Amino acid sequence: MSKNPFPLSKDDLLIAYRMMKTIREFEERLHVDFGRGEIPGFVHLYAGEEASAVGIMMHLNDQDQIASNHRGHGHCIAKGVDVKEMMAEIYGKVSGSCRGKGGSMHIADLSKGMMGANGILGAGSPLACGAGLAAQKLGHNGIGMSFTGDGASNQGTFLESLNLAAVWNLPVIFVVENNGYAESTSVDWAVAVDSYVDRAAGFGLPGVTVDGTEFFAVYEAAGELIKRAREGGGPSLLECKMIRFFGHFEGDAQTYKAEGENEYNRKHHDCLKIFRAHVTKAGVLSDEELDAIDTQVLALIDAAVEEAISAPLPTADDLTTDVYVSY
Amino acid sequence: MARTLSFKDAVNEAIDQEMTRDPTVIMMGEDIVGGTGSPGEADAWGGVLGVTKGLYAKHGDRLMDTPLSESAYIGAAIGAATCGLRPIAELMFLDFLGVCFDQMYNQAAKFRYMFGGKAETPVTIRAMVGGGFRAAAQHSQMLTPIITHVPGLKVVCPSNAYDAKGLLIQSIRDNDPVIFCEHKNLYAHEVDVPEESYAIPFGEANIAREGTDATIVAYGLMVHRATEAAENLAKDGIDCEVIDLRTLSPIDMDTVYESVESTGRLICVDEANPRCSIASDVTASVTQEIFSSLKAAPQLVTAPHTPVPFSPVLEDLYIPSAEQVADAVRKTMAT
Amino acid sequence: MNKMLPTVGIIANPVSARDIRRIVAHAGNLQVTDRANIVLRLLAGLGAVGIRQVLMMPENAGIRHHVTRDLKRSVNMGERRFPDVDYLDMAVTASTDDSVRAARMMREARVSAIIVLGGDGTHRAVVSACGDVPIAGVSSGTNNAFPKFKEPTIVGLAVGLTAMGAVPPEVAFQSNKMLEVDISGRKEIALVDVAIVAERFVGARALWHTENFKELYVSFAETEVIGMSVVAGILDPVDRKTPEGRRVVFDNSNPPRHLLQAPIAPGVIADIGIDYWEVLLPDVAFPIAEKEGSIALDGERELSFSKNDQPTVTLRTNAFRTIDVAACMKSGAKTRLLRIN
Repeated sequence: MSKNPFPLSKDDLLIAYRMMKTIREFEERLHVDFGRGEIPGFVHLYAGEEASAVGIMMHLNDQDQIASNHRGHGHCIAKGVDVKEMMAEIYGKVSGSCRGKGGSMHIADLSKGMMGANGILGAGSPLACGAGLAAQKLGHNGIGMSFTGDGASNQGTFLESLNLAAVWNLPVIFVVENNGYAESTSVDWAVAVDSYVDRAAGFGLPGVTVDGTEFFAVYEAAGELIKRAREGGGPSLLECKMIRFFGHFEGDAQTYKAEGENEYNRKHHDCLKIFRAHVTKAGVLSDEELDAIDTQVLALIDAAVEEAISAPLPTADDLTTDVYVSY
Repeated sequence: MARTLSFKDAVNEAIDQEMTRDPTVIMMGEDIVGGTGSPGEADAWGGVLGVTKGLYAKHGDRLMDTPLSESAYIGAAIGAATCGLRPIAELMFLDFLGVCFDQMYNQAAKFRYMFGGKAETPVTIRAMVGGGFRAAAQHSQMLTPIITHVPGLKVVCPSNAYDAKGLLIQSIRDNDPVIFCEHKNLYAHEVDVPEESYAIPFGEANIAREGTDATIVAYGLMVHRATEAAENLAKDGIDCEVIDLRTLSPIDMDTVYESVESTGRLICVDEANPRCSIASDVTASVTQEIFSSLKAAPQLVTAPHTPVPFSPVLEDLYIPSAEQVADAVRKTMAT
Repeated sequence: MNKMLPTVGIIANPVSARDIRRIVAHAGNLQVTDRANIVLRLLAGLGAVGIRQVLMMPENAGIRHHVTRDLKRSVNMGERRFPDVDYLDMAVTASTDDSVRAARMMREARVSAIIVLGGDGTHRAVVSACGDVPIAGVSSGTNNAFPKFKEPTIVGLAVGLTAMGAVPPEVAFQSNKMLEVDISGRKEIALVDVAIVAERFVGARALWHTENFKELYVSFAETEVIGMSVVAGILDPVDRKTPEGRRVVFDNSNPPRHLLQAPIAPGVIADIGIDYWEVLLPDVAFPIAEKEGSIALDGERELSFSKNDQPTVTLRTNAFRTIDVAACMKSGAKTRLLRIN
């Protein structure tokens, strides 16, 4: 084994790979099970975008809070939410992260710094400002982080949050996960200012664009932004350009995409393959080590699905609880 | 020790006492300090009507002016509430609900339920409500029904300085999101208010006037119109009970039922528009639960189904008057 | 292509100036609307001296939208200030590859010159594929030692005059040096500098961890530029014509043999330890001393290498041609080309 050339220890590289693989297999499995009609409701999959969530979240701890969006499974897993509880939640079971009351679009675990996936696009940005404000006022060095797609970056809430964070100098980072499509609508058409760095500059914030399929590019850039925010350097914007392997939601025929686009991207822009190539070429991790993780992850997802299927359903009593702390 | 205090000063005192007691209480809003970044005084306004004047001098940066950006800062207050602070956010006029309602009803109100009971959002959103300031259609509404409709939100609308102080202190201490509605036409109204800190529990209506012939249910400014009507009717020998709901969510229907069971007559007064109002809600509950106690059809006295007009003559017609309340009482007494 | 109708190519990179240097330094970001305005100024200059055909690289980041809209407005208003603009028929990948492919296609289309709007990286991409087509650069990037900022209107005029054949070639063109990196048979170029750093991953590309600097090779070294080459410029400058370069070996011990302050990125003046420096002669393959690390080309980590790779760096002279804007304008003025009567 040669010297590790990467800015992460071997153990951390293994953790990062395991997280990315867990997200991938979680989503691939949901895709299949949704197709079989086993999952209720709306499901938006993160597959293809793993390097962004994991490259960023490797820098965060439980005190750092993230506000996610409808495509939140990857953020949840990378932020440490329990995978089995997530699966049970998506199946609507009482053992789920949210006791079956939230579902795919509302998974949260504040104790892990996951303020919630969110069905209202752009709504997370003000909440992340609140997390940054709390860190600032309570005097700990946590940060708030808002995850927005290219679509929701057109929401007033997002733009207002950029301004608020700038004037209050909040430790908040706005991540724009630009996968090129707002549901079915192209970012090239729907975003009038064509660069998110320009858009950030319009609010007086520094912005950075990175290749979101390159784990190490995301990791390094996010590390600098996060360090800056923790040290009082204020808010910034990180655009990760990435690829959405699936449609907007499950059941989307994706006819708006180019012919062969998904196949090409899976072949050439798969962040997991790219990561594997880097670490094995450098001789830091072996294919055997990574394959072993693959096997463990598949077993975890299988177990999560099995447990979710056999878990108890909520009862009528659950309908009216958890509305208020007291009423 | 009690002394006379205005509604406005009672609100100020409640915030002051809670900020002193609990370092996690912060406050934000447009111009609540007033003048941040401007060339003049740093603490120029203390709120658009001066309600928070003087608090900045005592508590400094725990009071924050915001950009004119309700979505962002109401959302930030809500986010901060889930992260260990106990923020008070001022939405200057509840009429501005439209530009930040998502953060209130889709975010704050639903966190606890959506997250399976794992979130607490102790945020208080203070907002001015109601007419009489000649402020026209977008600064005068009584939008309490809209927010009361939403599970997960608590709604408070006091009628006097004593209640304002105790209920605001309770709102700040409460672990659920509370919308605290302040009737701008009551700011100058004075009653005895103790100096010491006290909290009034939610869901406990106040009997503002005891009576035996009819029950008038009201909240906010309408409590005063109802009481005025009751005093006038007393001269004619009609003895009305006036119930001040104080909090609309939770709502104290037991006190209303108890009163209606003894009087047999119900008049609901609401400054809101009539459809799906607090008045119609209370009436529906009474009708469903204690129908047999009713001696006459319940009466609703509300604003008309129109926006709030500007011209003083029209606005005076818009807001329910003591005469209208008295007429409604007489109508129930006739049967 | 008709000799009477020279075509000029424009490669305007929409994605430069977006990297981590906006955080670790205080680098600017030339906004897309500004880039479009630069293109319009180039077009105005070109059009004024008779160029009627311009071939552009397509992109989806907004420059094309803005330019097309403005050209349409100009036509609506009955103007004929601007040349016709065609776009290359190529897929847009929104990466440096676009610039490489565009340069190759422009060469194949026999354009008279290519105007490059971008930083060192974009210029490097274009030079790697443009062959003997002369280029003229307008700086837009972050870490620019190679292109200078020149008013695009003037660049348009100068390139236009040259393309129309109005300026003698010996006046219009300059030849340039470059560096060639060979890493296990794979060849890459750098226009200004090749830096060897300890990080062995490409990551966010930019260089800012000075403690990781190992070696530096430069084709020229000026003192008033931003970026890695300024280190050599401070130690021992060498201009763009002299057929030699410089090699610098860094010293990260404390204290180092020599210590200097160098503006290695916008707003970043770093303390840099130097062991020694020497002259780099042309056409001699210089083996990189480090056994593993990454190679930054013109300020961006591009390749990582390990023990087995044995990379070399070679200085090449007369490597590519640029248009001397000042000389073209002087010549144009002298020969009364810019006078109407």
